[in-house]
Amino acid sequence: MKKLSIVLLILMVMMAAFANGAKEQATPSKSISLWTYPIGGWGDDAKVKALTDAFTAETGIKVEVQYLTYADGDDKVNTAIAAKQAPDLIMEGPERLVANWGAKGYLVDMADLLDAGDRAELNQATLKACLTADGKLYEYPLVMTAHCMAINLDAFKAAGADKYVNLTTRTWTTDDFIKAVDALYKYYKAPVGAVFCGGQGGDQGTRVLVNSLYGGTFTDAAHTKYTWDSPENVKALKQLYEMPGIVYDPAIAGGDEINLFRNGTFKMAFCWNIAQQPLNDQKTDAGEQIVFMSFPAQNGVAQLNGGIWGFGIFDNGDAEKIEWAKQFVKFMCDGPKTADAVKTANYFAVRDVAGGQDISKIWADDATMNEYNVLMQYLGDYYQVTTGWATARTCWWNMLQAVGAGNDIAASVAKFAADANAAAAAGK
Amino acid sequence: MSLKNERKGAYYIVTLVIIIILAVLFTFPLYWILTGAFKTSREINSTSPVWWPSKFVTENFAKLFSKRSAPLFEIGGLQGPTIPGAIRWLLNTVLMAVIAMILTCITAAMAGYALAKKRFVGKATLFALIVCAMALPKQVILIPLIREMSALGLYDKLWAVIFPTVGWPFGVFLMKQFSEGVPNEMIEASRIDGAGEARTFVQIIVPMIKPGIGALAIFTFINSWNDYFMQLIMLSKTNNLTISLGIATMQAENSTDFGLIMAGAALASVPIIIVFLVFQKYFTKGITMGAVKG
Amino acid sequence: MAQIRKSPLTRRLRRQETVSSYLFLLPSLVFFLGFVILPMALCLFTSFFDSNLNATTPDRFIGLQNYAELWKDPVFIKGLKNTLIIVVVSVPVVTAFSLWIASAIYKMKEWMLSAFRCIFYLPVVTGSVAVTVVWKWMYNNYYGVLNYVFKGLGIIETNVNWLGNPSTALWCIIVILLTTSVGQPIVLYVSALSNVDTSLIEAGEVDGTTKFQNFWKIKWPQIMPTTLYIVVITTINSFQCFALIQLLTSGGPNNATQTVMYYIYYTAFKLYRFGYGNAMGIILALFIAALSAVQFYVAKER
Repeated sequence: MKKLSIVLLILMVMMAAFANGAKEQATPSKSISLWTYPIGGWGDDAKVKALTDAFTAETGIKVEVQYLTYADGDDKVNTAIAAKQAPDLIMEGPERLVANWGAKGYLVDMADLLDAGDRAELNQATLKACLTADGKLYEYPLVMTAHCMAINLDAFKAAGADKYVNLTTRTWTTDDFIKAVDALYKYYKAPVGAVFCGGQGGDQGTRVLVNSLYGGTFTDAAHTKYTWDSPENVKALKQLYEMPGIVYDPAIAGGDEINLFRNGTFKMAFCWNIAQQPLNDQKTDAGEQIVFMSFPAQNGVAQLNGGIWGFGIFDNGDAEKIEWAKQFVKFMCDGPKTADAVKTANYFAVRDVAGGQDISKIWADDATMNEYNVLMQYLGDYYQVTTGWATARTCWWNMLQAVGAGNDIAASVAKFAADANAAAAAGK
Repeated sequence: MSLKNERKGAYYIVTLVIIIILAVLFTFPLYWILTGAFKTSREINSTSPVWWPSKFVTENFAKLFSKRSAPLFEIGGLQGPTIPGAIRWLLNTVLMAVIAMILTCITAAMAGYALAKKRFVGKATLFALIVCAMALPKQVILIPLIREMSALGLYDKLWAVIFPTVGWPFGVFLMKQFSEGVPNEMIEASRIDGAGEARTFVQIIVPMIKPGIGALAIFTFINSWNDYFMQLIMLSKTNNLTISLGIATMQAENSTDFGLIMAGAALASVPIIIVFLVFQKYFTKGITMGAVKG
Repeated sequence: MAQIRKSPLTRRLRRQETVSSYLFLLPSLVFFLGFVILPMALCLFTSFFDSNLNATTPDRFIGLQNYAELWKDPVFIKGLKNTLIIVVVSVPVVTAFSLWIASAIYKMKEWMLSAFRCIFYLPVVTGSVAVTVVWKWMYNNYYGVLNYVFKGLGIIETNVNWLGNPSTALWCIIVILLTTSVGQPIVLYVSALSNVDTSLIEAGEVDGTTKFQNFWKIKWPQIMPTTLYIVVITTINSFQCFALIQLLTSGGPNNATQTVMYYIYYTAFKLYRFGYGNAMGIILALFIAALSAVQFYVAKER
């Protein structure tokens, strides 16, 4: 016991010495830092290490990885920026990199990494989302997907609601959706789905649900202002509010919704994508079949919201580190390891050829990924790069809370959309 | 008389029952964490409560110890052996709480003594400032504090969490209360014996206010351990995280692994509960002595 | 309050004492001034600026505009109101609750007393984050234990979305705050009550006073210092409810659990308005300073 405490004490003193500020000399060799959100396997230490080790082996540059969560990752990055200690590299989507930190002037323009060949190889919609209006590239994209929803097929069958979904095209109309929810509600006598609004987590699900029901949009086509106060959206919010099978729940966010879907409480989840699908053998906790679906739309064809993920480089004033970071980006997104980097993320590549290699077939032997391709054609506009995005999405879930609390729908929507538009105007 | 006794007995029983119900409620979170740590995620997430794990599984702890790794220590360029991240975070948390505790006790005991027993210019102002700042939530000074830590090169170091904790004036206030209980005659006598200021403090004051220092020590330790906000704001690198922060970073995209959270919570709370139980007597004694003097 | 015996100190001696006092204060002052007062001053300074996270736009001096805007911001007003409610409710309730528990257990056998004291302290030592995670599940609308038990007992008919309902959410937060606040007050009251001079009570019983009178006339004045101290620490504790709100409701639903503390954070890191957040901080600090001043004035009067 005594020995143990002595060892502990020595340990503490040693660590105190470290904490005392040995950081400056801690990494004498070439090193850069990467902060990543949990993008599929990019939140898993072992998988990421395999990729960064390959990079280190080739270039001699060490990569220090730090994992963020969607719950408080933004706050961490913002604090780091305020403390002038931002990482060298960050992995996330254009909604944060282009519309937020890039627009605020913290990221490095990587347009020099793009030659004519790259511009041709990259998925055009993705490239457009990563470029600013004046042609600056704040995010070098790696993967993309379409966010979708999921249903508990066994529950649908039990309630006789499976006739409302087309399992081949994975689409359904707004009317079918309403009928299906009704049937489920009559059968289970409890809410079967939730407009979750406890925070911004998973908000793409509620955005697309509301937008697609009656053909509303979230922003205008030019991405200059927010249009979610349009009559179509108000009608959709009202429709959802009046359906007994759907609740507005401000106590849960996207992650909680998925848990409730998996444990059988909800029969559908609006916060879903391909990364969720293969878990637990495509079954709920009780072993019921989970099927991914497009969102309901009047004509059955919804405009799905896309997810794009890639790398951004913070400008910390160190030209050398920026250069190393660029090497890293090139290595992962357009180099020998791109296929692995994409597979780790568990999404689709944004290009068919990377680093001269054909990567279009990397998912060829994966049944789920192939099946999922049916949804990729419904991929709609990537509007998350509209100015003032961070504020707008905050306004969105606050608006849902107001609507759910029974406030006048049109008035609430108008007020919060006005706030979002004020942020959009101020950001210009 | 017997009627009165009966009524008294009934009253006692009712009170006891209510208190036992409350006690169950107060113990429940810990019970749930400790059992939850050994349940499968499915059991924790089940639609009807699973009161006891059907089978004790260790997969949550396995995940907790395998998902992240960190070196045991870093000194200069030298790195210790790689250990599970959770262990490093636990050590970080202990280190942080212990340093905060020691610094707070020393500085607060000295300052409290001066405030209680000495006359000096600016005493009233200083005391007023201390009283006003005591209840101040740290969110108020959040942004300036981040900038200050960054300017001092302390951002993302444990010191950035420790220093504001030490600066929090509650300890000084508490120590002042205790020092006032020391009889002036003892201080005078020590002076007459020719003892200097430092010796008077160490030989007369410190032994007298020892219970108070003990109480402050435990109090600071627990507070610093639980100060989630400052840790969240000031620490970011995997190697520098505390246990509660570290567990938070292990969440996957859009889903909550409750088993992992419970295992982490168990790991984070068991050491501090042990500390509390071991020092409980000392704590109760110290805490009381200080307070009773208004 | 003990005072140093009045003695004819010469000016030199007095200066000497001031110097030695400040030497004793120095280590503490370095931290207090450096990490509480200095940031507070910076906070005041920044509150006059339009300061944000943009690298491209420098801070702009706007005088009192942030303060003027505050009073027109319904969310801030709501937050201020909720902060007040939390303090005004939790301080008396914690005090009364812990006094009641303490008076019920202080005469028990040593081991029982010890056990109860520990149990009521448990939520404090279990750690706020861990406790909050469990409470979040307990309050869950769909499968939380609270609905499960209440429905089983027939208290409620349908599930209540405790944290999702604007009329219950704040109270749910206050309940958790209570469980993490009563530990220390109970310990204090138990000792205070066991130290009450019982000869007076015995004398009273002979005179035929009731239990109630006994309490008010004899025990209450004797435990007054303890009560005042508990009021002070509970007030402090009530202002530290940030983690609960951040982890449970993020200020929702519909700002029902918005507090100034959370709104400052939200303004700074979600809306990127540092100056505005700092102005809020200054108002809150003034508010707290006033409250503390009142408490200490009352304490001195006693």
